[in-house]
Amino acid sequence: MTESSEQLEQVLGRVRLDPTYLNLWSTFKKIQQLDLRPPDDEKNSLRLAVIGSSTLEPLAACIDVKSRLLGLHVSTFVGGFNTYRQEVLDSKSDLHRSNPDVVVLAVDAWSILDKDFITTFARMSEQELIDKAHELVESVRSVARALEESTSALILVNDFITPVFSPLGIVDSKQRMGLKSFFALANEGLHDAFSQSSRVFVVNLDSIASDFGKSRVINWNTWYRGSIPFSEEFTPVLADEYLRYVRALKGRARKCIVLDLDNTLWGGIIGEDGIEGIKLGTVSPGIEYLDFQRVLLSLYNRGVILAICSKNNYDDAIRVLKEHPHQILREEHFAAMRINWQDKASNIEALAKEINIGLDSMVFIDDNPVERAQVAQAHPEVLVVDMPKNPRLYRETLENLKVFDVLSLTKEDMARGEMYASKRKRSQLEQSATSIEDFLRTLDLKVRIKEVDDFDTPRAVQLIGKTNQFNLTTRRYSDAEVRQFRESRDVAVYTMAVTDRFGDEGVVGVAIVRKSPEEWLIDSFLMSCRVIGRSVETAMLAKIVKDAKTAGISKIKGEYIPTKKNAPARDLYERHGFGSRIEDGEVTTWTLDLETGTVEVPEWIELIEE
Amino acid sequence: MTDINDRLSDILSAVLNIDKDQITDDLRRKDFEAWDSMAHLMIISEIENVFEMFFEDEEVVDIWTVGDLKRILSQKLGN
Repeated sequence: MTESSEQLEQVLGRVRLDPTYLNLWSTFKKIQQLDLRPPDDEKNSLRLAVIGSSTLEPLAACIDVKSRLLGLHVSTFVGGFNTYRQEVLDSKSDLHRSNPDVVVLAVDAWSILDKDFITTFARMSEQELIDKAHELVESVRSVARALEESTSALILVNDFITPVFSPLGIVDSKQRMGLKSFFALANEGLHDAFSQSSRVFVVNLDSIASDFGKSRVINWNTWYRGSIPFSEEFTPVLADEYLRYVRALKGRARKCIVLDLDNTLWGGIIGEDGIEGIKLGTVSPGIEYLDFQRVLLSLYNRGVILAICSKNNYDDAIRVLKEHPHQILREEHFAAMRINWQDKASNIEALAKEINIGLDSMVFIDDNPVERAQVAQAHPEVLVVDMPKNPRLYRETLENLKVFDVLSLTKEDMARGEMYASKRKRSQLEQSATSIEDFLRTLDLKVRIKEVDDFDTPRAVQLIGKTNQFNLTTRRYSDAEVRQFRESRDVAVYTMAVTDRFGDEGVVGVAIVRKSPEEWLIDSFLMSCRVIGRSVETAMLAKIVKDAKTAGISKIKGEYIPTKKNAPARDLYERHGFGSRIEDGEVTTWTLDLETGTVEVPEWIELIEE
Repeated sequence: MTDINDRLSDILSAVLNIDKDQITDDLRRKDFEAWDSMAHLMIISEIENVFEMFFEDEEVVDIWTVGDLKRILSQKLGN
């Protein structure tokens, strides 16, 4: 460790304990003086730009330091007072030179509206107001759009804070266009303008401000003295909102919640109170736990993985999950369980291993502060939630965590919980089966292979971008390239979806085939590690072979390019009877002569073609 | 008064990033790079928050040294 990075650890350690506005600012200034080298991996660095209509240094400082607390190396550009338009439009500006990967665009509605807007508001016609709202939206939209086109950054645009005061008073809501509906219209326009964009996100500043208390959002002294738009208390809170996007972008979001049972999922202790005695029902005490479980289930239903870590007799605990009439979370919702008398730190380590995720993806929820302290000490990577003593506040505590964010949700992401739970049941079956083929036969595997359609394209691009292990060539094609392949008659992009008796895995495989009149070349062949070991790759290869034969092709070639991670895919072509291996640099090419060879779908797989 | 001076030097040391024992009454804005206009704003608003008071704009621009700050602070808190 260099001297500077040691100093960095010291200052960050202090601000972590007491992240007040003053300490965040002081830390920001201190870090600026250190000579820190950016890391090699993009995922560990953040180039932040904060631009807008007011003095934004304090906000930028809070986002900067909070991002560093996540372990990121940060360089921060802060735009000048109300010069954001020039900065965005001039391709040689310092903003563009800083080559940001996250841009915060904070524009105050009142910096765009005419100075006499509020004075004449009550006299303006509905149409005039609608036009003004559109102008307001267009003014911000055009800047965000220009940013989207001229950078590759994630762009975070604040929506407008609806004022609490209206000159119309209590009849504001009786007008066809009151001040509140004017701002609602503008905000709706802003959200609509970017609902289809994958890089521009409209940040709900209005609701964050409401949650905090609009009367405390601005410090009027610093506003009039230095055009600082947000108060000392609100600025760090707002920074936390941008941090959600930073976490999602840089792979720092959490994926799994590990739950204690007694006094966490229900009131009381199952081993002592019994299934009739624990508090879990439709009136208080007991309803608090139902509501808490409902929020957990809502997160599960969008892809957060749930697991159990409880000190209990297994049979006592599992009986509640199976038989209690009010229990919301059932056995099937949990990807893994450790219900035993071992220490929780080692149980959590075992859970991480079984689910196959990092400890840094886990959140631990337990009512017992001693257990929490043990886990926090053994595994500082795990987010240990400081649960309140009062179970009525469990739900709110969970809702306020805001650490599970993703930048897009595919169908497969949403069903992740089910997939892990089926994996658990599948591995139980595998342990009881006598041979691997017996095991596969009992799975009722169904494989659906087809050329990619509009619906599957985002998932195919996602798999192409992130699959490392079972990936023959690791060619990372972009969304635009995949769409070009689809339009070309010389290329076929196949997707494979897999289901079995335990659940639907969704689209888990992609193959890209380049066709010429004499032979087909398998340019890419990849499969999610979730389905390795179920011989579904044979089915996808068999489908390509079958299509080639139908087209009267005599030869299929397949390529393999070794990487650090793709050893599981190395022998794919060899295993399936491909021969005449030719090595050319890093690329190995295998050939299957279709006049003498073929690939069949395994008898335990039902192939569905479309 | 020592309590006030302690809290004041907490603020100055945090905003200006200097050790508390380096803060003397004749430390001047003009001679000290870290005490720029943004830092000055920070110091003023932190004092306002901590001591629950408020500075007039004329007072803000008239503060040139730590001594000035202490003087105006004790005046205002004395009233």
